[in-house]
Amino acid sequence: MKKLNRRAMLKGTLFGGTVAIGLPMLDAMLPRTSAAQAGAPPKRIVFWFTANGTRQDIWSPPASMDLSGHPLHSSLSPFSQKLIFLDGVDQDVAYDSIGDGHQTGMACVLTNSEILPGGLFCEGSCDSGNARYVGWGGGQSVDQYLADEIQKETVTKFKSLELGVQVRSSTIWSRMSYSAPDKPVPPREDPNANFTDFFSDLDSDPFALRLIQRRRKSVLDAVMDDHAAFERKLGYEDKQKLEKHLQSIRDLERRLEVTTAFGEACTLPTPDLPGGSYEQNDMYPATGRAQMDMLAMALACDLTRVASLQWSRSVSNVRFNWVPQRLDEGHHGLSHFGDDNQDSQADLLEINKWYSEQFAYLLGLMDSVQEGESTLLDNTVVVWVNELGKGNSHTRRDIPFMLAGSCGGHFRTGQHIDAGGEPHGKLLVSLTHAMGKPVNTFGEPQYSQGPLGGLT
Amino acid sequence: MPRWINFAVFLCTALGLGCTGSIGPGGRSGGEDVVNDGIAKGLCVVDTPIRRLTRFEYNNTVRDLLGDTTKPADGLPPEEEVAGFNNQAAALTTSDLLVEQYMKVAEDVSGRAVQNMSALMPDCDPELDGEELCASGFIEDFGRRAFRRPLSSTEAARFKTLFDWAVADADLGRFEDGIRLVIEAALQSPSFLYRAERGSETPVEGDIVPFTSWEMATKLSYMLWNTMPDAELFAAAAADELETEEQIAAQARRMVEDEKARDLIGNFHTQWLLLSHLDSVTKDSGVYPDFRAGLRALWKQEIQEFVEHVIVEGDGTLATLLTADFSFMNEELADFYGEDVLDSVTGSEFQRVQVDPTRRAGLLSTAGLMATHANLNQSSPVFRGKFVREQLMCDTLPLPPNDLVLVPPELDPNKTTKEQFEEIGANPSCAGCHSLMNPIGFIFEHYDGIGQWRDEQNGKAIDAVGEVVQTEDIDGSYDGAVELAEALAESSQVRECVASQWFRFAYNRTVTQDDSCSIEQLNQTFAESGYDIKALLVGLTQTNAFLYRRAVEPAPSETGGAQ
Repeated sequence: MKKLNRRAMLKGTLFGGTVAIGLPMLDAMLPRTSAAQAGAPPKRIVFWFTANGTRQDIWSPPASMDLSGHPLHSSLSPFSQKLIFLDGVDQDVAYDSIGDGHQTGMACVLTNSEILPGGLFCEGSCDSGNARYVGWGGGQSVDQYLADEIQKETVTKFKSLELGVQVRSSTIWSRMSYSAPDKPVPPREDPNANFTDFFSDLDSDPFALRLIQRRRKSVLDAVMDDHAAFERKLGYEDKQKLEKHLQSIRDLERRLEVTTAFGEACTLPTPDLPGGSYEQNDMYPATGRAQMDMLAMALACDLTRVASLQWSRSVSNVRFNWVPQRLDEGHHGLSHFGDDNQDSQADLLEINKWYSEQFAYLLGLMDSVQEGESTLLDNTVVVWVNELGKGNSHTRRDIPFMLAGSCGGHFRTGQHIDAGGEPHGKLLVSLTHAMGKPVNTFGEPQYSQGPLGGLT
Repeated sequence: MPRWINFAVFLCTALGLGCTGSIGPGGRSGGEDVVNDGIAKGLCVVDTPIRRLTRFEYNNTVRDLLGDTTKPADGLPPEEEVAGFNNQAAALTTSDLLVEQYMKVAEDVSGRAVQNMSALMPDCDPELDGEELCASGFIEDFGRRAFRRPLSSTEAARFKTLFDWAVADADLGRFEDGIRLVIEAALQSPSFLYRAERGSETPVEGDIVPFTSWEMATKLSYMLWNTMPDAELFAAAAADELETEEQIAAQARRMVEDEKARDLIGNFHTQWLLLSHLDSVTKDSGVYPDFRAGLRALWKQEIQEFVEHVIVEGDGTLATLLTADFSFMNEELADFYGEDVLDSVTGSEFQRVQVDPTRRAGLLSTAGLMATHANLNQSSPVFRGKFVREQLMCDTLPLPPNDLVLVPPELDPNKTTKEQFEEIGANPSCAGCHSLMNPIGFIFEHYDGIGQWRDEQNGKAIDAVGEVVQTEDIDGSYDGAVELAEALAESSQVRECVASQWFRFAYNRTVTQDDSCSIEQLNQTFAESGYDIKALLVGLTQTNAFLYRRAVEPAPSETGGAQ
């Protein structure tokens, strides 16, 4: 990574003459960013998704928390004191919900809400139809709840950042974040576009930035007036749809003036961008790495406090042909063999080990960002979620949840907890507490009575 | 009406597993989310919610509006995909990300557009005619094309204000900047991004209203071309000549003969035939040394060129799509097919070729579909049977029970694939559903996992006989795909299924019970034409579902727009 080239002096046209402006004056002209320049560093939360369950039989850490010889997690060994492994946390709500195993696992994991009835998605992996249909997820997801709450007091450049690695199409199987019931949030999948969208501010002439902001504001104002007139002509349902769109424009306009904070750790990242091939199967590792590089820097630059990185999707069929066994069969296919099938078990070990290595890479990036006495990782909680416990049985019990980072000292890390069948809604409640936006229940109340024990 | 599979026939008493799917084109009508689907009096009318342009439609629209052929919408978030299609109104949602990207795409498109001012305003030169005049003229003309109707005076004034702001801004200031901002705002306006048809003020019956000519022009162009109206449609709209069924049909007949209908036909077949699955087909190179990644694109192009040719240049019939003894290939693909191709082909250009009519027939036996609906290292009677039942017969098949471990059988050097799948299918807990799929798949056993013809497997002769059961009209035993294709081409169930697939795709929604008279109209038109797809497309403009809607009711609590 290269250090950002801060321009000490800038030239521009002011009142018809060329002037040079020193930085203090420039600071006064530009709107303040959200970054807490002094005081405690902000808390952040990141959700990390991988699909199709894991090798439940070997997933847990040893009592010593020494991961150096662990079959899946040896690469996480440097961070073992910053981790919490959770055994025995179930997605109870998924069993009440309509929808198949992957659908409920995906739509409920961050919402703790049942899937809505509807005529959109057939249950099962049918290509075109099935007798039983379901709608989208039925609740706001915890990341979006937190993003909304945080924005009430701090406007960051992005309310939240959802990053995806080859998530592809938009269906009930591929969306875990919901801004509201029935409102899935798509992830940003193109690292090339992300680089521009996140970081172009860092390298732009502030005058050019101001001009872009002014233009955008004028255009969006006109567009919003247009919306108001258009909506008046619509029936109720259509109007609701447009109202959501209009809210997004308002929100976009509100964020226009927030520019990236220049901080010690906030530098222009130099990810290896995969270009146009980011959607190709074999580019999965490279695309993921670029997304992780930018995610870590987006957090260091305080572009947002809430983020997620979604690797593929439920029923992921990524072909892991870069792991030692060079797997040509897709992940989902492999996850369906029986527990006694030695070959597929070995393959699943490789896949989940590889994901663990990626997790370690992100944690490493975050832990190398110093924020006062602590690191970015310490001020964050990264939550590893999965839609299933294990692929072949589609169980949504004993989901392999893992937390990394203490979220500013909130969580007592370096431990392994067996929750003994507690509902995962309680974990979501715990996360709201960690972020300082506590709720008593989240989603389905009967499955989220207070925070999960032992975490703090 | 959906015909539910008679469970008792298949019920496995030991495990209680039957096949609780449904048969026939009505089977998809489960719970669609449409507004106002009460009972109409005489006409059967179901309203379609507003729908935003898909990425495909957005790309086509800026191509026709501004000559921008960069496909700028490709980077937008993907459409929500339901019931097999990505243009279903009920599912298309919006998000913060989408709105942010709309802004950025509009900036890019408008930036490119003003590089060539004379193309934007060929009849006005700001230096000679004055900037004011050219700007106002542009706003009126461009606005009408972008919004697909004349601008209101308020809208025109709003754009003019924006133009004036940009021209007066110290850092912008140029005429082009003003024009650019007008384009930028128009492309983010709901009048551009969404299709909403209110209908005219005068009901034909009760609260049922026809559409205005401007609305009809847009309905026709997006349905038949997946893009904005052309000059002729706009002229017809301006003259209010899209009112009668005859006027609408005349336009539709013109439109299906236009080059732009190819976009629609390609888009529909890509989705209906699940061609996007082809992009990720992979095979075990140990079993199929002939497979290489480059084949995917050739397989796909074969199907696309064939379909386009049959519908646009050919006789356009469903029967030809299903049974033709010709296809389109280049040298590499023809080599892959080997002796199934009767003509010699050289070079990389695709050309029409005769195929061996005893081995290949129409779409279904193409290598692309055969390879997609197959396993890594073997054919898949299950996938092939499922494809035929779901995509061509509109049956709906349930998934296997959640906890079942689903794996294709290990390759057995002493058995054929059919023998192996027969053993699995004989398991009573599977037979309920698999007796619907596997035998259809067996009929395709002459095509291996990459779609190449084989007469034998593991030293045994291929047996491509399968018993088709539980259909409306093609039950019976068939030997090979050519025979089956002939039967499918004559099947009412298949014909009605194809019509209902087009209905869903064209109207951006699923079929509901209140659509029965529209479906009947459509099936009749299709039949009278000898099952000609182009006639079906024209027929889609003549149904009650297309011609009418219910008058918009004011929202329960009218707040007067944005606060």
